[in-house]
Amino acid sequence: MCYELIDISGDVGIKAYGKDCGDAWVNAGIGMYSLITDLEKIEEKKTLDIKIKSDSPEGLLVKYLNELIFHFDTYNFIGRRIDVISFSDVSIRARVHGEEFDPGLHEQRLLLKAATYHNIKIVKGDDVCEVEVIFDI
Amino acid sequence: MSFEKLRRIDENRLEVPKGYKPGMRTNGIIFADSVLETGLESGCIDQVANVATLPGIVGSSLAMPDIHTGYGFPIGGVAAFDLDDGIISPGGVGYDINCGVRLLRSDLKRDEVTPKMKDLIDVLYNEIPAGVGSKGKIRLGPESERKLLIKGARWAVEEGYGTTTDLERIESNGCMEGADPGLISAKAYERGRAQQGTLGSGNHFIEVQYIDEIYDEKTANALGLFKDHVTVMIHTGSRGFGHQVCTDFLEVMASAIRKYKIELPDRELACAPFRSQEAEDYLAAMRAAANYAWANRQCLMHWAREAFISFFKVSPGLLGMGLVYDVAHNIAKIEEHMINGKKRKLVVHRKGATRAFPPGHLELPDIYRHLGQPVIIPGDMGRASFVLIGTEKGMHETFSSACHGAGRVLSRHEAIRRAKGRSIRRELEDKGIFVRSAGREILAEEMPEAYKNVSNVVDVVHNAGIARKVARLRPMGVVKG
Repeated sequence: MCYELIDISGDVGIKAYGKDCGDAWVNAGIGMYSLITDLEKIEEKKTLDIKIKSDSPEGLLVKYLNELIFHFDTYNFIGRRIDVISFSDVSIRARVHGEEFDPGLHEQRLLLKAATYHNIKIVKGDDVCEVEVIFDI
Repeated sequence: MSFEKLRRIDENRLEVPKGYKPGMRTNGIIFADSVLETGLESGCIDQVANVATLPGIVGSSLAMPDIHTGYGFPIGGVAAFDLDDGIISPGGVGYDINCGVRLLRSDLKRDEVTPKMKDLIDVLYNEIPAGVGSKGKIRLGPESERKLLIKGARWAVEEGYGTTTDLERIESNGCMEGADPGLISAKAYERGRAQQGTLGSGNHFIEVQYIDEIYDEKTANALGLFKDHVTVMIHTGSRGFGHQVCTDFLEVMASAIRKYKIELPDRELACAPFRSQEAEDYLAAMRAAANYAWANRQCLMHWAREAFISFFKVSPGLLGMGLVYDVAHNIAKIEEHMINGKKRKLVVHRKGATRAFPPGHLELPDIYRHLGQPVIIPGDMGRASFVLIGTEKGMHETFSSACHGAGRVLSRHEAIRRAKGRSIRRELEDKGIFVRSAGREILAEEMPEAYKNVSNVVDVVHNAGIARKVARLRPMGVVKG
């Protein structure tokens, strides 16, 4: 597994790893989706293209995850696979593959309000990137 | 750098001294007795200290006894700032703008409802949209959403959800003046379109209760609360609309701290000087989100009331289901307070704290001015909830604020771990409490032992004199998201 749960008293977080930051971003996104539902039941029927810019890596990570939360909370779009098209420290373009969440069909886990800057971590090594994000739920 | 330890002021209060952390402009005060003190997380004490570093803070950085770690500000945090030298911070309000609670009273007796409780909860569960990914029965067009953001609960009443007599029983009459729909992002509009009239998930609920103990008979009677009568409590907020407003403005504030060169110990404290365009815009958008939340609770209450009327097949008059009061517990407000004998206008942030105005306060409606403001405190789904009333002492000590709930003690994961092999639903049913939830794990996450004992929390508030106990409510049935 390329992500794991961070357990804190009020809320919940995701720690994600990747061979580079783009990869870690993908795993953070999938890890976040796994908090919302059981991804085994999600099929790739639709795609969502996103394009995010920020002025810092932390800002980018939070904005990117909040964009995914927005599309879930507004249009019920839930992803199970994310392809990065282009990535830099301050911008990301990606295509998310998934489908429309159906509360009658899919497991209802956590309702995420937002990704936060609380204890946010981005650690870059030579061939590894590790990120931690806490969500308000 | 000096690190001073916490100091006990009296049996209900702890001081976080100015030397606890560098940069503190004032001290912190945490309302906690020796029992609650043992459960205090170090993270939330740091957050009380961090808030004390913010520019223009007036009085102490306060925390209510249900304090736990939040983002930037602690949950249970109260802080007031000067309008000229101070700031406003979205982190001092929270992502769920105007999350709050309302309480309905009724003339139904516990005995009449108990035998039908299971069916009643099923009816409520079917009538109230709840849970992850659920959409409401209301679809807002752009024009109606704009109107809702300006009018709040009044919008709901005009649409047929409830009556005008409900409005005076809502904090700020269910509508904050100065909301500006023009400052709302397209994303927030879109996110709010299908979520009006929905409960949400997490700790939000609708609960049927009965009054099992009266502490102050005169006040309880004046509020329409009598022993063994059934009440209904609704806990929810501004849903995705408010979350998006907060998310949007944290971005704005991140730029503002650079522009105004405000140094912060934590990025989630991002803020802007109160006299700045950024602050003005946030306040106007926050007010719109607050209004969204008041309309939301109004719609949910209306459906709950309708469900009771059709379920018990009695006239609304005989049912006597009236709103007691509706409080906001995640909000920033401009209020007048006495500081060193002088009246000053301040911006009071309450994040997981309830306003608790004393008797005679001009902002209270005529019906309650002689009593003081009702303070509605939900507990967990197995133990109790409380009704308190605002006091004169609270006005001086906490900018008229009290706690907002029990406060979590277990992480969600730990709660699920402890619930393994148990049926929380069955355990509650054995105590005569029927629960329905949309999510499979939510009952474990929200089980009673995941929370502090609300009675301890409320006792600290009562004993400290910042609000006074009026009645205790026991759960009979709960709908969770």
